[in-house]
Amino acid sequence: MRPIEQTALYPIINPKSLAVFGASNKYASMGTNLLTSIMSLGFEGNIYPVHLTEKSVKGLPAYASVEDLPEIPELALMVLPTRIVPEALEACGRKGIRRAIVVSGGFKEVGGDGAALEEQICGIANRHGIRFLGPNCIGVANPHHKFNATFLPCPRESGFIGVASQSGSFITQMFDYLIQFGQAFSAGISVGNEANIDLVDCLEYLGACPRTKVIGLYVETIRRGREFIDMARSIVPHKPIVAYYVGGSEAGRKASLSHTGALSGPDRLYDGVFAQSGVIRAFSIEELFDFCWCLGAVPKPAGNRVLIQTHSGGPGAVAADACSRAGLVLPPISAETLDKLSPYMPHTASAANPVDITYTKKSMDYFTQIPKILLDDENSDAMLMYFLMSEKSVIRAMEGFGIIGEEAVQESRKFIDEQSQSVVDMIKSHPKPCIGFSFYNRENQFVANLQDKGIVVLPSPTRAARALAAMVRYVKLREKIMSGL
Amino acid sequence: MNKIIKSALDRGQRALSEHQSKLFLAEYGIPTTVEFLVQSIDEAKAAAEKIGYPVALKACSADLIHKSESGVIELNLRSLSDVAAAYVRIMSAMPIGLEGVLVQEMIPGMRELVFGMSREPQFGPCIMLGLGGVMTEILNDVVVRVVPFDMAEAREMAEELRCRELLDDFRGERAVDMNAICRALTGLGEIGIAHPEIAEIDINPMKINSAGQIKAVDALVVLKGGNHAAH
Repeated sequence: MRPIEQTALYPIINPKSLAVFGASNKYASMGTNLLTSIMSLGFEGNIYPVHLTEKSVKGLPAYASVEDLPEIPELALMVLPTRIVPEALEACGRKGIRRAIVVSGGFKEVGGDGAALEEQICGIANRHGIRFLGPNCIGVANPHHKFNATFLPCPRESGFIGVASQSGSFITQMFDYLIQFGQAFSAGISVGNEANIDLVDCLEYLGACPRTKVIGLYVETIRRGREFIDMARSIVPHKPIVAYYVGGSEAGRKASLSHTGALSGPDRLYDGVFAQSGVIRAFSIEELFDFCWCLGAVPKPAGNRVLIQTHSGGPGAVAADACSRAGLVLPPISAETLDKLSPYMPHTASAANPVDITYTKKSMDYFTQIPKILLDDENSDAMLMYFLMSEKSVIRAMEGFGIIGEEAVQESRKFIDEQSQSVVDMIKSHPKPCIGFSFYNRENQFVANLQDKGIVVLPSPTRAARALAAMVRYVKLREKIMSGL
Repeated sequence: MNKIIKSALDRGQRALSEHQSKLFLAEYGIPTTVEFLVQSIDEAKAAAEKIGYPVALKACSADLIHKSESGVIELNLRSLSDVAAAYVRIMSAMPIGLEGVLVQEMIPGMRELVFGMSREPQFGPCIMLGLGGVMTEILNDVVVRVVPFDMAEAREMAEELRCRELLDDFRGERAVDMNAICRALTGLGEIGIAHPEIAEIDINPMKINSAGQIKAVDALVVLKGGNHAAH
C-alpha cells in the first residue's frame, strides 16, 4: 500500500493552495457558496479566485486567468458552466496544476454531447497528468484540514468516519445528521461520475488515512470490480469497510440463456462481492453510519454471544428479539456470574438473559457493578446495555430530599455527570465491547455525556443489535481474509 | 484451445450439447453422470445394460437448450423394452439435427443444486451456487462470488445458502461432500479465467445422491456470441 501522500486524492483532500473557478460576488451562485464554505471553515492555505471580470471575490484578490496566479496551486476547484470546463482544465494543465475537483454537471450523466465533453476532459487530464474528482460531484470535506469544498456548511468537529459516496447528498446532508450522535467525518468524498478518480482511489486514500478508523461507502455501481475487491481486501485486515449498496433493478437484468444469468441479479452479485472483499453490508443509511460508529469506537467482539442488561422489560425483550434475528446468540448467565450478581439483584429482577434488573437501590449498581460482573462473564463476548436517565426524574428526586430550584438543577447535573463518567470508566476499562441503547437522544444529558466520551449509544435496541452483529461479521470476514493472505 | 470447444466453434455451434458440456466440465474435475451417446436402439440397449437401471434417455443436440419443454427426455426407464420404446419416441419427436441420444444413469436423491458461471462487465467471470429443483426461481436462494477465489471462499458460499441445512444429513440421505462442492466451484472459476470464449455455464441440476456425492445431471456451456441467439 502506498503512503497517503502518494495517493491520487491526497492533494485533493489536503490541498495547500487553491484556484477557485466559478466563485463571484453573486451570493446565490453555487461557486460562491463553495468559496464561502471554504473560507468559513477557516482554510489556512492560499485561495485564488479566478474570474474574468471581478477584481476581487469575497475580499480575495481575483485573477482574470489562471496563468496570472503568483504560484501553482495544488488544486483547482471548478463550478463552471459545462461547456467551458475543458478550456479551464486545459489552462490549469498549462499552469502546472495537477489536481482538480470538477463540480459542474452536464457530462456523461445527461448523455449525448455531455458524454463527449466528459471524454474531452478525460483526454485533457491525461495529457497534463491531472487527476480529478467528478465531474457532477459535490466536492470533498476534510474537517481535520479545515477544508470544506462543498456548498453546505460543515462543522468544525472532526471524526473518524471516512466516507466515499456516489451521491453527494450522503456527504453534505450527513454533516448535521452525524452531529445528532456526536459524530463527524474524518473525510467525506463525493465521487460524481468517476471519470478519473473512482471508489477504488477513495478506498486507497481512506485506507491510508490515519484519522480514518472506519470507511463507509454509498455504492450504486462499482466500475473497477476486480480492483475494488483487491483494494478492499488489502485494507480490511487493519480497517473495517461498510457499504450501503442500492441495487440495480432486478427487472432490468439482461435476458439470459442460462439460469445463472437470470438468478443472480445485481443484488446477489454485490452481496458476493462485498463478502469476498471483507466489506460489511448495511441495508440503510442509518445502518451505514451506525455500523461505522461502532466499528470505529467499540472493541471487536470475539464471538456472537451477547448479554443484555436492562431495567425495563420491553426494551430488553426487543433487544433480545433483534439479536436473534441478526444471528447473535443469547447465552444463559453462568452460575458464577449469578453468584456475583446476587447481592445487587432485587427480588423482582430476572437473572435470565436479558438480565432485567427492574430497579436498584443505588443507581451506581446498575451503571457500574452489575455491568462489570456481566462483562466478566466467560460465556459471553459482548454486551448491550439499556440507558434511561431522565433529568426531570433526577430533579424530582432532589426535590424529594428538599433540594429545590436552581440548586436542584445544578445538583442533578452534577449527579448525572458523575454517574455517566463512571459508566464511561467501567466500559472503557473492559476489553469486551459494550454498546448502549436508549430512546433518548443527545438532548438528554446522560446520553450526550456518554457519547462525548466515546461510548456508543444507539437510538434503539434494534439498531444496537444489528450494529453488534455487523461487528461480529467484520471479525469473521477479517479472519477469512487474513487466513487467505 | 480445448479440443471440445474448438470443434464446436469450428462447426459454428452457439453452445455445447449436454454431452459435450459434461465432457468439458469433467476435465475441470466437475463430477458428471455416467452416460453414453448412442446412434441406434441397439446401442441404447447396450448402454443401458452397462449402466444398470433405471436410466434416462435424452435427445442430445447443441441446438437443444430447453429439453424438458420439448418432450425429448425419458426418465426412469427400467428395462430393455422401456429403453427401446423411449428411443423410438425421442426419434419421432425430434428425428433430425441430433448429435445422438444420451443414455444416462439416474441419480437417486431428493436434493438438487444449481451451479453456474456468467460474466459481468465490471467484474469478469462470476460463479453462482444456488438451490436447485422446481422451486429454484421461487426461492431464489443464490450465492455469487467473483473469480478468482479459493476453497475457503467457496466453502463460505455454501455456508451462506439459506438452505444450508439441506447439505447436512437430510431425511436418511448423507451429508453432502462439501469438498466436492468447493472443488466444483473453484473448477468453474478456473474455466472462467482460462476460457474467454465461453460466455456462460449452467449446471442444472447438480444432484446430490443419497450418499452425499454431487453429480451434474444436466449442463450447458454457452459460447461467446451464442448468447440470446439460441432462444
